[in-house]
Order: sequence, then C-alpha cells, then structure tokens
Amino acid sequence: MRVGLVCPYSFDVPGGVQFHVRDLAEWLAAHGHAAQVLAPADDDADLPPYLTSCGRAIPVRYNGSVARLTFGPVTAARVNRWLADGDFDVLHLHEPMTPSASVLALWAFDGPIVATFHTATLRSRAMSAAYPLLRPSLEKISGRIAVSEAARRTVIRHIGGDAVVIPNGVDVAAFAGARPEPAWCGRPGAPTIGFLGRIDEPRKGLAVLSAAMEHVLGRMPGARLVVAGPGDVDGARDAMSPVVAAASEFLGPLSDADKARFLHSVDLYVAPNTGGESFGIILVEAMAAGAPVLASDLPAFLRVLGEGAGASFTNEDSGALASEILRLLDNDGLRVALAAAGSVRARDFDWSIVANDILAVYDTVTPPGLRSRAWN
Amino acid sequence: MELISWVILAVALALGVAWYLSYSAARLDRLHAKVEGALSALDANLVRRAESSLELANSGVLDPASALLLATAASDALERETEHALPDDLLDGQRFGGREDVESDLTETIRATLTPGVVAQIASDEGPAAEELERLIAAGRRVQFARNFHNQAVRDVRRVRGKRVVRWFRLAGHAELPEPVDFDDAVPGDR
Repeated sequence: MRVGLVCPYSFDVPGGVQFHVRDLAEWLAAHGHAAQVLAPADDDADLPPYLTSCGRAIPVRYNGSVARLTFGPVTAARVNRWLADGDFDVLHLHEPMTPSASVLALWAFDGPIVATFHTATLRSRAMSAAYPLLRPSLEKISGRIAVSEAARRTVIRHIGGDAVVIPNGVDVAAFAGARPEPAWCGRPGAPTIGFLGRIDEPRKGLAVLSAAMEHVLGRMPGARLVVAGPGDVDGARDAMSPVVAAASEFLGPLSDADKARFLHSVDLYVAPNTGGESFGIILVEAMAAGAPVLASDLPAFLRVLGEGAGASFTNEDSGALASEILRLLDNDGLRVALAAAGSVRARDFDWSIVANDILAVYDTVTPPGLRSRAWN
Repeated sequence: MELISWVILAVALALGVAWYLSYSAARLDRLHAKVEGALSALDANLVRRAESSLELANSGVLDPASALLLATAASDALERETEHALPDDLLDGQRFGGREDVESDLTETIRATLTPGVVAQIASDEGPAAEELERLIAAGRRVQFARNFHNQAVRDVRRVRGKRVVRWFRLAGHAELPEPVDFDDAVPGDR
C-alpha cells in the first residue's frame, strides 16, 4: 500500500508527533508498504530517504505555545508536487487543524484521507474562528483517529463528531533491552528517583517533585533525584531548596538510547505532570524499560497505567507525592511487582499492535477497487 | 451606472451563484459517496466476522455448547444482507437494513463464548483455530472503525443537507437521508 504521511511540525526539533510519524513510516516500510513523509525541515539538513521537506519551518505562536510551522505559496506548491509524485493509496495527516503542511495537503488531495488528532488542548476561541474555513475540507477525512480518550473528547467538543482511539506506539523491545547505567542506579540506602521532561516547563511538574523531595530527604537522606531533559539548569537549581539541589543531578537532554538506559536504571520513575498531557507516552516507555512508575492522577495517565501497572498520587499535591515515593522506596517487593505489571501493560502499546490497528483504518477507508496493490 | 455595467454585474452574480450551487452539489455528492464507502466496508467486515465465527465454531476447539451458540449467532448474521440495489448507484446502498439486532447478538455471543480464558487457550495452541481467532478479532476491529467512520459521514451528510441552499435547490435529489448505525461492536480483548 502506498501511504503518504504528513507531519505539520518541523523534523529538526524533537516532539511527540514527529517521533510518532517517523516510527510509523519506518514500521510501514519494514512491513512491505511504501511510506513517504512530508514535513517541514531544513533543506540542507541530513534527512532520512523517506522524508520530503516542504520548506523551512518558522516559529509561530499557535494554540498557546510556539510551534515551528510552514505555510505560504511556496510550501503549497511543494505539497502539491509531493502529492502528485507520491500517487498515494491513502493520505495520513497528523494534526489536520494545525495551519501547516497538513491543512495544505488536506486541501489538495483527492482520495481517501485518514487524520490523527494528537492534542488534548485545542483552544475553542481559535477553533471557532477557523471553523467555517476548514469545515468543508474536514469533511474530506474518511477516518479520524485520536491518540487518547482525552484527544477524542477534544475532537468531540471542538470539532464535532467522533474519532476512533488508537494510542501512540512504543518500540517495547528497544526499551526492554536497554543496559543499565551504573551512575544512574541506586545503592542500598541511596535510591535514585528519575524525572524526564523539559525542566523549565511548569506543566511537566518538576517543582511538585522537588517540593516532595524535601520530605523524602528528611526520612531518607541518601536518596538522589536524577533529572533528564532540556531546559535552563541553573534556573531549575535555583528554584530548588539547597538540600534538594544538593541531592539532584541534571543530565540535560538525552538521546533515545540514553533515555532507555536512564529509565532502565532508576529505582523509581516519577511523572509529576500537572496537565496538558493527551496521552503520556513517556509512561509507556518507562514501563517498557521496566521502571516502576509513579504518576500524577491525570485522566490520560490513569488510562495508560490501567489496573495496577503503576502507582499514582493526587495531582499537584507534593505531600501526597512524598508519601507515595517513601512507601514505594521502602518496599522493594512492591516496586518489583509494579515493574512486572508495567512490562505486561506496555506490550498493549507496542508498535506491532498499534500499527496493525492503523493499517486496519487504512483498509477500512480504501475501497478495494481503487487500491493499487495488495498487502498482508 | 451604465446598462453595460449592470449586465456585467448580473452575469457575474449569476456565475457566482452557479459556481456555488455546483460546488455544494459536488460537496454533497462526495459525502454521499463517503457514506456508501464506509457502509460497504462495514458490510464486508461484518460478513468476515461472521464467517470467522462460524469457522471457529466448527474447528473443534470450543466445547459443543459454546460452538452451537456461536454457530447459530454467526449464521443468523450471515443470512441478513444490506439492502443494496445497484452497486454503482450513489443513491442506494446507504441503509443498513435493520441488521443491528443480529449483529449485536453475535457480539454478545462472541463475548459469552470467547472469554479471555478461552481466547488465551486458543492463541497459545497456535493451530488453524488461532489464525481464525486472529481473523475474527481483525474483522471485529475493522467493524468498529467502519461503523465509527460511517456514522461520522452520516453526520456530515445530514448537516450539509440541512443547509438552505441544498434544500431550496433540491441538491440532494431523491437520495434518502442516511441513518447512523448503532449496535454493540465490542471485540474480545478490547483495551
């Protein structure tokens, strides 16, 4: 099957949507399908062979944060050429409401279209302004996918209608097979607690965790907080109390391989995110790597954790977080059981399962007579 | 204003109206085609689901009582067909023909007979029955998708057909108003 994937965000910067599109394209190619990706990227950057750039991305303020998007007549011409060259059986757009390549492709393509909605934080004011403009082209979408129940509710509320839920995929084997890094592993009496995410983005919740660490260190002075993720380290350190800052180690942004080793090594992975999470792929990655997971009780997180595959605490309550951390660090058996349940749960989100569901959607929206080649 | 200007204005207006009417008709036509496509995908996968259920019932891996229940529900579903008239007629093939009850019954029977324990047992044997079970689950998943997409297409058609321009100029012709399809389509092992 010839599949065209369109990502509205620049491939030059890391992001959940970009990783999803990249992994899906590679999985499809590995399983006998011809997958092409169209996304903004620097033309002189080292691009994977399946990726076509639709132009350099420009930082624009959209939907409450700065996104790197691309638009304009030159981009539109590149989108049209890519569609003509690709001769796709199905076009799979990501974030079709984002004013970038996806909208342009939706406008130009004549054939079966699948769209995936990733976000759970659409702003209704922006939506109602753009809506009359976009509605006729949204009608061209034959199959709508939401990556989580939260994203689906956003579709229902802001766009109307419905969508099927297919979660984001994770390469479980890659995370499960990671080798631990001794520097990030805890020792008896000095366990390590892992945090992963932008350290200067309040919604990622580092402040909640560092407030909780104060209590934890009072009872367990040897505990260490290992913080991975991009952002201003000095600012984050200054925001912590001196005793917490002294017990913390900042690793900066990690490569994919190091992220897997990090999650494999820490004694407890904590996701203190305070909101804005549509799915929580990082929880799945942590579970796949065999880390016991403790997450804030956001609906999206609770859904990923399922029944007993991870522990949770009341969102933004650092006292509750501290007592949960201590309860888990005090009890090795409990952590082992959580990690085991997490490994099982993570398999539900493996790419093999997720991608087969996405293929089933392609199958559903492509009339058999029009399909150019058979697939398994 | 000169007469010629009036004429040009009138012609431009008439052209504008004509363009809008043909655009609206094309938009509606595309939506009707989408409903029909989704319904035929739904139909094809329901047939596949029922066939796999029947195969599984006859494969000998189920106890005789479960097998009999499943075979009965599956053949009831296979006996019903969507009320297609002509395959190339966009105005037809937009109704589900009251199959909701038999399909809900099949879903319920699948749930009652293919419990998580039974599913795990069949899957671990890795025989032909395991493949049939996989086909059943794959078809069931596609049924969920097709039904969801169909009902979305129906909502789009109904909204556009409510527009004044479509009603006044009868752009929908004699096409019946499509109805959403609602039945229990759960699949064994739903997340």
